Parts: sequence; structure tokens; C-alpha cells
Amino acid sequence: MFIDIHVHPAFYEPINADAELEELRHETLDIHKNGTAPLEHIFNQMHCAGLDYLCLLPEDYRTQQGGKVLVSNEEIRTLVDMAPDKFIGFASVDPHDPEAAERLEHAFGELHLSGLKLHPGRQHFYPSDKEMEPLYEICEKYGKPIIFHSGLSWEPDTLTKYCRPDAFEELAASHPDLRICLAHFGWPWCREVAMLMLKYPNVYTDTGALYFDCAQEFYLQMLTKDVPMTWIDRSLRHQVMFGSNNPRFEQIRMTQAIEKLGFRESTLELIRGKNAIDFLGGLPEGRKAI
Amino acid sequence: MMYMESISLLTKKYNEYTVITQQVRDILPRSGIKNGMITVVTKHTTTGITVNEALECLESDIEVFLGRLIPEDYPYSHARMLRDYGSTAGNPTGHLKAMLTGNHCHFPVVDGEIVMGGAQEIYFCEFDGPAHRTINVAIQGE
Repeated sequence: MFIDIHVHPAFYEPINADAELEELRHETLDIHKNGTAPLEHIFNQMHCAGLDYLCLLPEDYRTQQGGKVLVSNEEIRTLVDMAPDKFIGFASVDPHDPEAAERLEHAFGELHLSGLKLHPGRQHFYPSDKEMEPLYEICEKYGKPIIFHSGLSWEPDTLTKYCRPDAFEELAASHPDLRICLAHFGWPWCREVAMLMLKYPNVYTDTGALYFDCAQEFYLQMLTKDVPMTWIDRSLRHQVMFGSNNPRFEQIRMTQAIEKLGFRESTLELIRGKNAIDFLGGLPEGRKAI
Repeated sequence: MMYMESISLLTKKYNEYTVITQQVRDILPRSGIKNGMITVVTKHTTTGITVNEALECLESDIEVFLGRLIPEDYPYSHARMLRDYGSTAGNPTGHLKAMLTGNHCHFPVVDGEIVMGGAQEIYFCEFDGPAHRTINVAIQGE
């Protein structure tokens, strides 16, 4: 079982019939020259990378984009329905939207999405803001996890101050039953993420970072030196999930690279998929543990 | 006179060799050109066009040969964030393999036929797949 917990489907062909929206996606995400991808290509890519499931993450920045939603919860539901044996869908809401709580209720209650994705740096909020409490309570009510962007973001109009790992401690401490993922290993503050995971078992991370060098070189630095491999292999092995942040970063070479770092096979099994299943609270109904 | 058509491919593997001779032949009658030159050129920088004999053993030898010359685990410079793309370059081997195979081939067209040797086949070479690829086929003549 190999799950990519961090995939942005903004350029999947079935949700890109509108050229204007596609252009907005290129500009907002600052990802260019990649075109759109038919699902057959996505499946080929998954096959080459050895991936069984992709967690698809939407982006809702509507209060900053004139009410437009970059990738909507409904589009994620559409994609999941097109390939329920391969896709797991997350929700997104804009915390500054007065209707955010109702939209999240709809995403979990009606659309049956599997978790919430938030980007404090792009959506300009601190994870400990009191205004966030209703969203956290809804996640707790439904038993759904939250993936937070943490660390550097390449997207324009992002401020890193909102997503430094230590900004999440208050949330982790005050909501011990809420599973949260500080994505991208909080790069470059990987040791702060390690500190939080050591202290708070409800804190997870993913490996969706490749800001320098090739996948093998970057992972060697981040996952064996910045954070010594023994820390992950011995102490944090139940809290690290594979994530690619595709299409920003490449899935195939990242999945290959993680296999070569020297982790115990049992640790690799956790990183590949078992931790993601725990984080999700189990695979969605009807999905098989391959 | 100049005529052009494109061939689209959805490659399935990281490195993959696809014979496209028949697809190229099929384009020629639609051009109406009887005598001239046909050029097959890929639109990409991590794919190649080459001409060789279509044998499984040769495909394997070509793949192993290119892999030996251009190993995956070499410290290439083309491994960094690219601002124009907003993503990390991870395909130096694709670029270098494409440089070795070249990006095009030419054949004469005589009396409405592509003049090729009996063992010659046109290969599209994928060096950074899977991907959606486009090959242009341009025919000049009369």
C-alpha cells in the first residue's frame, strides 16, 4: 500500500474545461508550462511511481479571489467519483469566508470528503486564531484530519510567518484528538516539526519538499541529516507520511528516493501508507487496503 | 508546398521506445505530395526521434547503453527549482539522452512513397515519461 497524501489536482483535465480558470490556477499556484493532464496520464504516473492512492487537495481562497474558488470541494468529489479506487478527496474552505463552517459541514456531511486542507500562509491566518475554532470543532465532530501547509510556500502572496511550525503548537496542545499534518516537513524548520511530533502524537508530517537538488539528494539531506534518520526510524516512524506535493514536485523520483535512504522496511511500510491510513482514520468506505 | 500534421502519444513508462513508422506513413497520402522530403520532429526536449531496426534486443541494448552513458545517480546541475516552471527540474538524464538520439529524422518521398531501408523504422524515444507528447510531421515537395 503506497499513498501520496499530498497531491494538488488543479491541472487534471476533467476539471479544466474553463481556460480562464486554468490560467488563474497557473498564476495563483505559480506552476507553468505543465499543461493539463488526462486521468489516463495520472494513472500511468501512479503506476510508474508505485502509488495506489492519491489524496487530492483543493484550494479555496475565495475572499482574496473575487469569490472564485481555485479548486472546489465539488470538483474534488467529481474526480474521486471518476476513480474511487485511486483517489481520496479532501475539502478546503477559506477561513475568512463567513460561510466557511457551513461549507465544511457540507463537505464532510454531504460530499463525504476525508479531511480538510488549509494554507495559513496563503489564507493569512494563524492556526491558533480563535476564529478557527468552529472549523476545528467540525473536524473533531466528524473525526477528520487537517493538512496544514507549513514552512516555505512557493505560491505568490504567501507569508511564511503564518506557517512556521511553532505557530501550530497551541493547536496541537489544545486539540489532542485532532490529527494535524504539518506538511512539507515544515521545511526548512524540519527540526521544529520533529520537536512537535515528539511531543504531540496527534502531529504528523509529510515528505512533500524538493526545493534544492534532485529528489535523492534533497531527501538525503532533509530526512537523514537535517532530521537524523534514526530520529524518524526509531521515534517518529508513526507520524511521517509520504507526500509529493505534485505537480510542484515529481512523484516518481520521490517515491524511488525514499526507498533508498536506509530506513527499516517496517518504517518504510509506515511512511508509504500505514501512517496515512491512521491519519485519515481509516480508508474511506469501500476502499481496499491494497 | 508544405504540409504538416501532428502525432499525439500518451507514453506509459519513464523510458520507452515506440515505433511510429506506420503513423508517419499514414500522413503522407493526406498531404497530396508525391515527391519531396518528409521530416519527423519531436516538440520536446526530453524525447528523441531515431531510426533503427525494430528488434526487442536492440531496444534493450539502446536503453542499457544510454543508461550507462547517462546514469540516473550522477550529480547533474539540472536539479534545482526553476522559476519559469515553479517546479524542480529532475530530468537531466532525459535532456542528455535526447541530445544523443537527436530530435528528428528525414526521408525522401518519391512517387508518393517514403523511401526507407528494409530494416529502418522510426522510433519515438521517451526519456522522461509518462507524459503527453506531440510529434510534428512536416512534408515538403510537390
